[in-house]
Formats: sequence, C-alpha cells, structure tokens
Amino acid sequence: MAQPDSQELGEATTAIHAQPDSKTRRYDRQLRLWAASGQSALESSRTLVIGATATATSILKNLVLPGIGHFTLLDPKSVSPADAGNNFFLNGYSSIGKNRAEEAVPLLTELNDSVDGKASTKDIDELLRTDEGREWIKSFTLVIAHNLGKDTIETLSKLLWDGLANPPLLVVRSAGFLADFYIQFHEQCIIEPHSETFPSLRLTRPFPALAEWAKSTDYDAIDPTDHAHIPFPIILVKETEKWKAEHNGELPKKYADKQSFKSQIRDLQKKMDEENFEEAEAQSWRISTEVPAPSDIQSLFALSPLSSSADSQSASTASNTVFHALLQTLKLFVESPDGPGCLPLTSTLPDVHTDTESYVKLQKMYKEQAAKEAALFKDILKKTYPDTPLDDSMVDLFVKNTHHVKVLRGRRWGVWEEDKNAIASSFGPAPAATATHLALSSLANLQAQGIEITAEALQAGVVSQLPPNAELPSALDDAIGELVRSPTADLPNTAAFLGGMIAQEAIKMITKQYVPVNGYCVIDLVESWTGIVGAP
Amino acid sequence: MDTIDISNLNRQFLFRQKDVGEPKALVAAKFIMNRVPGVKVTPYFGKIQDKDEDYYMQFNLVICGLDSVEARRWINATLVNMVDPENMESLKPLIDGGTEGFKGQARVILPTVSSCYECSLDMLNKPTAFPICTIANTPRLPEHCIEWASVLEWPRVHGDKKLDTDDPEHIGWLYDIALRRAKDFKIEGVTWSLTQGVVKNIIPAIASTNAIIAASCCNEAFKIATTAASYLNNYFMLIGTDGVYSYTFEHEKRADCPVCGGESLDISVKKDWTVERLIEMLVEKQDIQIKKPSLSTPTKQIYFQAPPQLEEATRPNLEKKVSDLVADGGEITVTASSLPFNLSLRITYT
Ligand SMILES: [Zn+2]
Repeated sequence: MAQPDSQELGEATTAIHAQPDSKTRRYDRQLRLWAASGQSALESSRTLVIGATATATSILKNLVLPGIGHFTLLDPKSVSPADAGNNFFLNGYSSIGKNRAEEAVPLLTELNDSVDGKASTKDIDELLRTDEGREWIKSFTLVIAHNLGKDTIETLSKLLWDGLANPPLLVVRSAGFLADFYIQFHEQCIIEPHSETFPSLRLTRPFPALAEWAKSTDYDAIDPTDHAHIPFPIILVKETEKWKAEHNGELPKKYADKQSFKSQIRDLQKKMDEENFEEAEAQSWRISTEVPAPSDIQSLFALSPLSSSADSQSASTASNTVFHALLQTLKLFVESPDGPGCLPLTSTLPDVHTDTESYVKLQKMYKEQAAKEAALFKDILKKTYPDTPLDDSMVDLFVKNTHHVKVLRGRRWGVWEEDKNAIASSFGPAPAATATHLALSSLANLQAQGIEITAEALQAGVVSQLPPNAELPSALDDAIGELVRSPTADLPNTAAFLGGMIAQEAIKMITKQYVPVNGYCVIDLVESWTGIVGAP
Repeated sequence: MDTIDISNLNRQFLFRQKDVGEPKALVAAKFIMNRVPGVKVTPYFGKIQDKDEDYYMQFNLVICGLDSVEARRWINATLVNMVDPENMESLKPLIDGGTEGFKGQARVILPTVSSCYECSLDMLNKPTAFPICTIANTPRLPEHCIEWASVLEWPRVHGDKKLDTDDPEHIGWLYDIALRRAKDFKIEGVTWSLTQGVVKNIIPAIASTNAIIAASCCNEAFKIATTAASYLNNYFMLIGTDGVYSYTFEHEKRADCPVCGGESLDISVKKDWTVERLIEMLVEKQDIQIKKPSLSTPTKQIYFQAPPQLEEATRPNLEKKVSDLVADGGEITVTASSLPFNLSLRITYT
C-alpha cells in the first residue's frame, strides 16, 4: 500500500471541537472501565443506606463521586461526640446533637451536583412494621445496611428475599479492625464480566471466507516479503487442516503431538525470525481450546429461570427473563444446522503480525461473519420468543460476550449458618476468615440480647453455632480478643476501607458488569487480609 | 506539584469543580483543616526531588500517593540512603499504595530492613511499546495511528515545541492527524478518548478502589504510629474484578537490589558484544528500567549521554567491544537521569 500523502498535515486544523463534553471528561477514568452503559445504569439507580455511621457515609462518598442517581440515608439518631470524632461527613463538633442523616447528606451531595440525596429521620423498625414502609424500602435499586441490630436485619432480609424483583441487600458488620459483608440477591446476570481471556478465533472450524483464504495461500508462490506477512490465523487454519488430514481428522491433543504441530509450523519459515510464523507457533494453544461452548456456558443452557408467580410483571424479573431468553437462544444457535456449531463469532481480532492490507482484510472478514451470525441469532430469538420485548443494543452486547456471560445465584442472608456442619468444614480451607465471621455473628447475638461482651460469652456464642465437639482454630482467639477490645468502635480506617469495598460491590451489582462477591467477605485489618466464606 | 484536573473529580473527595486548575496540595490541606477541627496540614506545592534529606528527616513516616514509577524510585532510594545504622530515628517507614481500575496494592517498606520499592521493580506490568516499523509502515490498530501522530508527526511538524498532553489543543491536533492516518489505511476506532488514553498512558481510576488502598495505607500508618496492632508485613494486593480476591505476603529483599542490597548486579555479556549492544540490553531489562544510561568504570568513562561534548568524545566507544574496555569480573557504574542512584554492574563474559 502506498504511503498516504502527508505533505499538508502541518496545516491540519485542530480538532478541539471534538473534545468530549464536561460530563464525559469528569467521568473519563471510570468510563474506561464501565462505559456509557454502566454509567447510565448508575445514574438511574436509587440506593437506600440504613444507618448514618462513618462506614455508611464512606460508602456513599464512593457512590456519589461516580454519579449514582439517588440515595436516601436513613437514621433517626443524633450525632454523638464519638460520631463527630470519626465521621468525615459531619461538621465536626457543631453537628453534635443534630440528626446524623440530616447533617451528613448535604456534605455528601456537594461532592457531585448531579446526584440527588435525601436524609430520612425515620426508624427502620417502624418502617418494617407498616405496609407503606415496606413498599418504600422495596422501591430502591439496592439497600445497604451497616451494623443494624440482628433482629432488624433478619426482618429486613426476609422482606427483601420474599420476591424476585426486590432489591439486593448488602449487610455490613464491623467492630474495630474486623468486618464482614454479605450481598443477598436471587440472581445476578452479568453480560459484561470483563474477562481478560480472548474468545475463539474459529481456527479449527473456519467460516467459509477464512477457510478459502487459507486454502488459496500457497507458501511457495508468495514473494518473501508477503511470506513474512501471512497472518497467523491463516497459518493456523491451514496447518490444522493439514494435521487433521494426516491424523484421521483429529487435532493434536497429547503433549508430543502439540510439540510436533509446533515444529510443523516452525519448518514453514523461509528465513530466520519470520515473526508471523513465530506468532503462529506461540498462538497454537488456541486450537486445543476451541470447543463448541465452554463448560461454564454450557451449564447455563441447563439453567431454568427463577420463577415466582407473584411478581412476574415486575421490571427486574423481566430483565432476567430477557437474559434467560438470550441464553436459550444461544443454546439453539449452537445446535442449529444453519449455524457454525459453536458460540457466535465476536468481531474482536487481536493484533496480528502482518501488513496493514491483510490485517484490514482479515478484520473485515471477521466482522462480516460476526454480523451474519448475529443476524442468525436474532432470527432464532425472534422465532422462539416472539412476544419478549427486546432491546437491540442489549442483544448485540450479549452476542459479543457469549464466551464470557455469567449467572450468579445467591442465597438468603443467614442460610449458611443454618448448616452447622458446613460452617465447621469451612475451618479447613479458611480458618481465620471463618473464625472471624463467627465471632462477629456471636457479637451481634450478644448485642441483640443485651449481654455483656466478654471473651467467654463470645466464645460460647461461637461454639453454639458449631456442631458438638468441633475443633476451634487458633485464629478464633485473635478475633475474639479484637472484638472484646473494641466491640462498638467504628474506626475511621476500617470505615474508609469498607466504604471502598462496599461501593465496589454496589457498583458491580448496579451496572451488572464485573463479578460481585457471592458469600461472606471477611476483612481483618490487623493482619491486613480479606477472605471469602459461605460461598454457595 | 500537580494541579486539579476535571478528570480528578470522579474520585477526589477534597476537590470541587471550582478548584479545577488550583494546586492539589493547597486545596486538599485547606479542605481537611476546615472539616476536621484541630488538625494541621502543611501543604508543599512542588517537586519531591527539590527537598533534601534534612527535610525528610523531620517526619516519622512517609506515605506515598505518587502516580509515577520514577518518583517512587526517587523517594525510595532517598529514604534507603538516609538510614544511619547508629541512629534508629533515621529509619523512616515508607508506605506506598497504587491502584488500577478495580485492582490495587499497598505495602510497608522499612528502608534497609524489608524489601524496598526497587526490589520489586520486576512486578510492574511491562508498558506496551509499539515497534517504530509497525507505526511507520504497517499500522493495524488505531493505537498505531495515534503513536504515529504523537511520536513521528508531532516532532516533524512542530520541531522543538514540546507536546503537552494536558493541552486539549494538542490532543485535538493528534486526534485529527491520527484520524486521517486511520482513514488512509482503512483502520477503524480512533477516538478522542483513545487518543488521550494512549498519549497520556491513562490508567482507569475509581473512588472506591482508591478508598480501599488509601484506607489500607492510613491503617498501616495508624498501627505503626500508635502500636495499636502489628503492621503489614509487607505487601497487600487486591483484585476486585471477579469477586474479591486479595493476597497478603512478604515480598523478599533482593540481595542484588541496586538500592538496598549492597551487592553489585551480575551481568553476563557475550565476549563480542559492543558497548551499544550492552546499552540496548540494559534498556530492555525489566528489573532496572532505565532509558538513557551512561556507563563508566572506576578509572575511565565508557559512554556518556550528556553533556553534548562528553557524548561526542565517548561516542566512538559505542562500537568497541565491552571486553576490550572492562576485564572479566570488572565493574561498570551506570547512571541515568531517571535513576536516583548509581547502579553497579559486575561483568562476566560468556
Ligand atoms: Zn531493595
């Protein structure tokens, strides 16, 4: 290809008019992670935060800055001297005696003009007692509760679990340097988990245009420059065909076979260091990973949608209905005689060592094939689900991510604790995290019963959560020691740390991008570690 | 030294829209003192490299919220050099944190006692570098077109005028040139945002991850200052993209660390290598990361990048064999403007 004429480039007028608007510039560093789709999900979300503690305001700070739509901070209590000393979002000592939520909200909303924030001085227990209060709680996108009493959490978690369309609940508990949190949700469907693995390039089942290019490539007839520019996918398609012809249609599977396949590619080099052939050799692992559908995607084909007759009309259930319709369509697509016999092609081609013309041609080929397969997918979708309302951009996004989509199924808060043997067996893989979680539960029980917090009482509470004669890990003593020292302290650093962790999870739940925690996440800031227990 | 940019506001809770353009240190200090009664914050709006050991000696510990490898290497080397074994007051714990998207890390460095920043340089991601021949002759990706605009076209058209990646006029110019280049080659995907991302090497950053890492750094500082609990030994790494995964471990000191190890770095060199080849090898080495090294032995100058007269005088050595200039087992001292210390190499020939 000829070099483009660059003579008058110096006279190029600046394209400053193309500079993004100020909102895009403000959110630039996060849009690079979750794009406009994630941002718009955040902006239309409504979060309820219960308890205006230092931890709660830290969480909100990290949600207001990236621009959630609305939050309500609920707390009937007044600011105590301790609050004034540990909560950055209060006006120091002048806030003492005033309502905690009302004092904090203005200092949170001034972080970002586009966020709507409200304080509510209502009492959560009273709200939970009336129909109106319960409906109001259920109207949010997400509910976050910090250090609520055990009985309140039980009532709240049951209310929100009772209905597929109810918001997820994030339960956060902390004392001194220790903390844990849990996200209660029925189902989280993730179209964009942002997996770092590359999807299939269809090297072992080439589509017609790709197969034709490989077939028409004659290594000996090509001049030396072009020989060093044959794109690696073409080399791999061609060599896979050759290998299969010589090995009863089998791909190289054993280690020795893979090595000889590599040397088959190496032998094609006409000169030392032809980078395209080196690349083909390095990328040859791809041909043994090309299955019709990866096993975790196949297991989604068998997943039936959650159902509850009561709320089949609600919006959130409907969105999961669409997701399940897309999954079933994907299954039909893979099985379809008109399709490629595997997941749809995505148009993302990695960089390939070749010349511009070949790369652009190859990219175009992949794009055209991807478009064809997307059209077939949409045909099947329309035939199978004629009545399901579909958002075209969502379908496109799904088709682009079929190698990576994920469905998480969660459990009600507290279900794990009902199986004492499951808890005991968690000591093996995660002794410290399990012990810390149990100690925090024991603390919550004692506080609910108004019993004095002593090491003995905490220990007895832990033992009561376990099967008889369960062996206790030594880490339990450390956790209990820390809780006895500071059973009610909301330390600023712990609050700040949790503020970041919980906001990360909230963003993942709201944007449905990236993968949230399923189970309890336990945090120890004495030894600075985190751990997961009770995953389903 | 930095001033507030609009793109900081998505994660910086001490800055507001009206503060854009103001020095970060001054605005932050003022905000904190306003909000928290009784606290005193002394801002310093300037380069960390402009302060000497006496300045750093007055503190009990140092927390880094730096955004460049170069600045981190400098403060690390400075604090390691300050340690006087006779005076425990001279040992200043260094707490360092960094984030990228949903990932981050925090660490505690006890200069000369634990692994230092330089010891772990090879843990850094290799920066993506595009070969010049690809940029010039066979562009394939939008990034190649952007590099062409910034690396080749900017100096060709603007001469000595420095590219300011914070100036929207400059980004606009690059975007325009890259877009035309892409059009000529039928390459799709050049956008303003990508142009800015490539030329500024933008790393995604969010409030929540920064809060986790900042809290972790402050928590370690709090534990060291109050002895309320033992502190991190010595590295905490967090990945929040797929659930929450973290790893707390002791990063080990490198015996041949050029800053805290005390031993020279062993380098084996082929007998027929020229000085130029050795320099190429040093520049590519992930665990030392230097750009323009100058070389000397205890008795003679081998090659100096600056000043121009010295460069000219030592240039003929580039073509000479290293083995003609340095004996087997001999030492070479490497200096570079980006290197806050002298690196000592022990050369063996193969
Ligand atoms: Zn070191």
